[in-house]
Amino acid sequence: MKKTTPNPADLTFFANLFTRIAEEMGGVLARTAYSPNIKERRDFSCALFDGAGQMIAQAAHIPVHLGAMPLSVATARAAFPKLAVGDVVMLNDPYAGGTHLPDITLISPVFGSAKRQPLAYLATRAHHADVGGMTPGSLPLSREIYQEGLRIPPVRCVERGTINQAVFDLVFANSRTPAERQGDLRAQLAAHTLGERRLLESLERYGAPELRRQMSQLLEYAATLMQATLKQIPDGSYSFVDQLDDDGAGSGPLPIRVEVRIRGDQAEIDFTGSAPACATSLNAVEAITQSAVYYCFLCLLVTPSRLHPGRSSLPPINAGCFRPIAVHAPPGSIVNAEPPHAVAGGNVETSQRIVDAVLGALAQALPDIVPAASQGTMNNVTLGGIDTRTGQPFAYYETLAGGMGARPNADGLHAVQAHMTNTMNTPAEALEYAYPLRVERYEIVAGTGGKGTYRGGNGLIRDVRMLNDTHAVLLTERRTQAPYGLAGGEAGTPGDNGLIRGRQRKRLPGKIELELKAGDVLRIQTPGGGGHGAILT
Amino acid sequence: MLIGIDTGGTFTDLVLFDGQHVRTCKVPSTPEDFSRGVLDAIQEAQPSDSFTLVHASTVATNALLERKLARAALITTHGFRDVLEIGRQTRPELYNLATTRPPPLIPRSLRKQVRERVSATGDILQPLNEAEVEKVMATLAKQRVDIVAVCLLFSFLHPAHEKQIAAAARRHGLKVTRSSEVLPEFREFERTSTTVVNACVSPVMQTYVKRLARNAKQTGARQLRIVQSNGGSLSVHAAGEAAVHTLLSGPAAGVAGALAVARTALQTESPQVISFDMGGTSTDVALLNGDVPITTEADVAGWPVRVPMMDIHTVGAGGGSIATLDAGGALQVGPESAGADPGPACYGVGTRPTVTDANLVLGRIVPDHFLGGRKRVDREAAAEALAPLVQRMNMDIESAAAAVIRIVNANMERAIRVISVERGHDPRDFTLLSYGGAGGLHVCELARSLRITRVLIPRHPGVLSAWGALAMDVTKDYSRTVLQVDARPNDRRIERAFQQLETQARRELRKEGFPDAKIMLSRSVDLRYAGQSYELPVSLPAGRFDATHRRAGEAAFHAAHERRFGHAEPDLPVEWVTLRVRATGPVAKPQQEPIQKGGRSAQGARLSKQGDVDVMDRERLCAGNEWQGPVLLVEDFATTWIPGGWQVRVDKWGHLHCTEMQSA
Repeated sequence: MKKTTPNPADLTFFANLFTRIAEEMGGVLARTAYSPNIKERRDFSCALFDGAGQMIAQAAHIPVHLGAMPLSVATARAAFPKLAVGDVVMLNDPYAGGTHLPDITLISPVFGSAKRQPLAYLATRAHHADVGGMTPGSLPLSREIYQEGLRIPPVRCVERGTINQAVFDLVFANSRTPAERQGDLRAQLAAHTLGERRLLESLERYGAPELRRQMSQLLEYAATLMQATLKQIPDGSYSFVDQLDDDGAGSGPLPIRVEVRIRGDQAEIDFTGSAPACATSLNAVEAITQSAVYYCFLCLLVTPSRLHPGRSSLPPINAGCFRPIAVHAPPGSIVNAEPPHAVAGGNVETSQRIVDAVLGALAQALPDIVPAASQGTMNNVTLGGIDTRTGQPFAYYETLAGGMGARPNADGLHAVQAHMTNTMNTPAEALEYAYPLRVERYEIVAGTGGKGTYRGGNGLIRDVRMLNDTHAVLLTERRTQAPYGLAGGEAGTPGDNGLIRGRQRKRLPGKIELELKAGDVLRIQTPGGGGHGAILT
Repeated sequence: MLIGIDTGGTFTDLVLFDGQHVRTCKVPSTPEDFSRGVLDAIQEAQPSDSFTLVHASTVATNALLERKLARAALITTHGFRDVLEIGRQTRPELYNLATTRPPPLIPRSLRKQVRERVSATGDILQPLNEAEVEKVMATLAKQRVDIVAVCLLFSFLHPAHEKQIAAAARRHGLKVTRSSEVLPEFREFERTSTTVVNACVSPVMQTYVKRLARNAKQTGARQLRIVQSNGGSLSVHAAGEAAVHTLLSGPAAGVAGALAVARTALQTESPQVISFDMGGTSTDVALLNGDVPITTEADVAGWPVRVPMMDIHTVGAGGGSIATLDAGGALQVGPESAGADPGPACYGVGTRPTVTDANLVLGRIVPDHFLGGRKRVDREAAAEALAPLVQRMNMDIESAAAAVIRIVNANMERAIRVISVERGHDPRDFTLLSYGGAGGLHVCELARSLRITRVLIPRHPGVLSAWGALAMDVTKDYSRTVLQVDARPNDRRIERAFQQLETQARRELRKEGFPDAKIMLSRSVDLRYAGQSYELPVSLPAGRFDATHRRAGEAAFHAAHERRFGHAEPDLPVEWVTLRVRATGPVAKPQQEPIQKGGRSAQGARLSKQGDVDVMDRERLCAGNEWQGPVLLVEDFATTWIPGGWQVRVDKWGHLHCTEMQSA
């Protein structure tokens, strides 16, 4: 294909067209899904890829899926080089295109008139509330991946439009909440149907060669934008170390060490020197580490700043953005774990610390742009058991917001999700309809943000009373290692977990599995963000 | 005699109907006190008799956007005073490190909590403590608040606690609004937000309508009604109590006007129309599938406001939208706008290129007739502003201008796709109806890109919203969540809840002056598959609720789900979530006035030529005229561009019917 100068109007037009398809898929998924995870909290992503598996557009939902979705598509393509019209591939294996087991990904090809080579791929990834394993909610403090639930290598779950019921039955049989899985997977399939229909409409209108040309121009265009941004960062090598609290099984703090090397319009991010893979589930597979790094650089690309003066609208987010960025994550380390290490928490917690480390390094190069550390945890709470109101098993999973780090020119926001996630909460009233739980307190905790010229945002506190005996898993971070401040600002207040049983109050560790009794209250206080700048007196 | 008035940011539009003839006028708006502009318009129209005034007002919307609000306090269940601030705990933008959130409408110092608790089954777990309530009220009275919003958990199941608190507030001389009245539906943040918005804007609205009513009375207004967001009007008294229902007053009047025109012009009670209102900074679109579209999922100024509103989708694309090239070389148009100040470069003040400048360069604006000749436009200034784009894009100026138009059209096309294709409607089945100042320049090309072949441009497109204000009945909406934890609500419970809503509806419409026999009630319900979180509304047949109604509702739900999401699950249980009743009191409406008849030839309306294109005076067109584009039609407050390939016919009422001719 001859390379031509892209038409400026085409770039905007087609970027919007492809993004809109991904967003529309997301709309269908959110509105027809069954588990609160997907429908209330929006813990899912939808994306469109070109025929070579390069991400062209992703609905802006969950950054942790950024680097991982392309790997899912690559894995599906490698496993099934001859996908046909109407095929859908399912997978969740973190060691084969996945991130952690609850995230089930579907991938489907879309063909133009040529039925041999797909024009594009569609992918949806949704966090399913339970895929089996040792605890309800499938986010256990596990020691090996086999404890975390059903592991699905790439399988063809729909063949030429016909559902392979055996595959679905296998998934349902391994979940504590099979009806919910059925509804959620149906919603994912509906999103694929819709995405395919929309793409075919565009195909009819513009033709396959034109769509291909526009996709490749968009990749080129995004790469140009990222390179222009990188060029504005002073050349040099910037290092930073941040730490995870522990692995929940007696380890000390686990360092994430990073060196960011900027040279011209290229960036190299090297994690050599990070902790080796740990005994429990706080291990990140390589895809997660990539996602976290990509997230940081997308922030530099998107945040209005002197790095790109005069821009009035958002740049497209596609694989082109990541071309000038190379990630080195040493195999066997906590940022590139190998089988059969447990990985459930790497996705949700370690990913956050990777961001904190990379942004800490970038703050040295761009002290006027990069904020202090945000809460740096998702505060994962999983509650499960039998709902005595219905006799049915339930599995409830929630992540809690906390303080945002102060910016070089503004306070951090109170009680918002940080960096690698942006999932909504479950309304207390929706929660109490659906589960044998009662929310008794949901408040911002004043004074938990770090002091400074600009203050870190405050964390929040949430008290939940069990109405049944309930199995609980807490997978939380920043209970000992506080979110750092910058430029003389103080660190944020670490989070705190507690149990109130009758008149007794007990502090709980950051990572614990425990049996709660009816009447117990679980109290989670989330970390505040770090402050920025010296405290003015 | 009827007078409809729509207050916009720049102009206040009036339509007067004296029983036979229609008169229109436009006067400048008076932002420091919008009621003055309303009186100016009445003065200009010189009504010869006393009249009923129906007013679409942006007072509540502006108050919210500019945060010029009443000093309100909030009372919540203990432990939940921050729900308003936490919201859904998300940050507004995913990748923007500098992202911000507007501060909550009520600061924490005015958010009070009381010990009480109702469960998900509607049982009282902890009774309200009257002494504590008294203490809170005494504090609030000292803090000199204007109004108290009350929002307790599960109050829609058991409103007694909220009612007790409201009574205590009144005893302390405080105004009050409670969530179990404003929005008796589940999801505490959305309910709180809606109630708080009501508390913050209602006193502002009250002050405004009181002043307006007093002054309008002297000009001959016998009765004054305010347009609500749901496409119905309401007495000023009711509007002042619940101003949250007027946040979309102006846009809703526009869509109601579009419906009225479409019903006449297309000669059907259920026209299929997409309304398209392009202004200076934004464009509003709505899909009318035989009736006005209603949503209960709207946000206004970033705050969830979940009362029924017209489903109007807005994009930041207008005549003032600014065109830029970014670092990667992509052309962007909007959402940044030059607005009315400094305005497009061709106004002579601003220097950045806008959509209007591109239209001028392309010869689609007739300088002598822009805004009725009242605004001078400078083609040189427009060309100069576009020059940097021309240079960087390496094309001639016409191509660059055309590229700007293409992008702004694409943005508007996407907005129309959101409300049509994405909700299961094929735009090709609809007529595109354009009104507002800038729409006429884009409507035919926009239609073409959506493969819509029929375009309707009403007579007086510049004052359609004022017409719409007169075209609506008095309506009120009522709702209640009936979702149950353990079981499906049975037929008797549903009928009882409907009856309660209807009793309340009749009582309030009687207050609006309607006898029982005139009041029309319709029932609908929000349904979902058990386990889902989003409901779809379906209407229910009239009559006492029984198994037949349940079946009809569920069948309609399966069909709606299929249409909207591409699949339905008739075997799955359906949950009955929220019941709704709409009460309507019919009022006298104006008739559209026929224009003079003429032959097929439109020669008489010919004014001049601009380049190769005929310029015609819309006021001189006659019913029956027919011709083909390209042509530019000028009138006082709008210009219409009909490109080649389109056939135009003028109907009896002066509406233009444009049809794309089949290309050979």
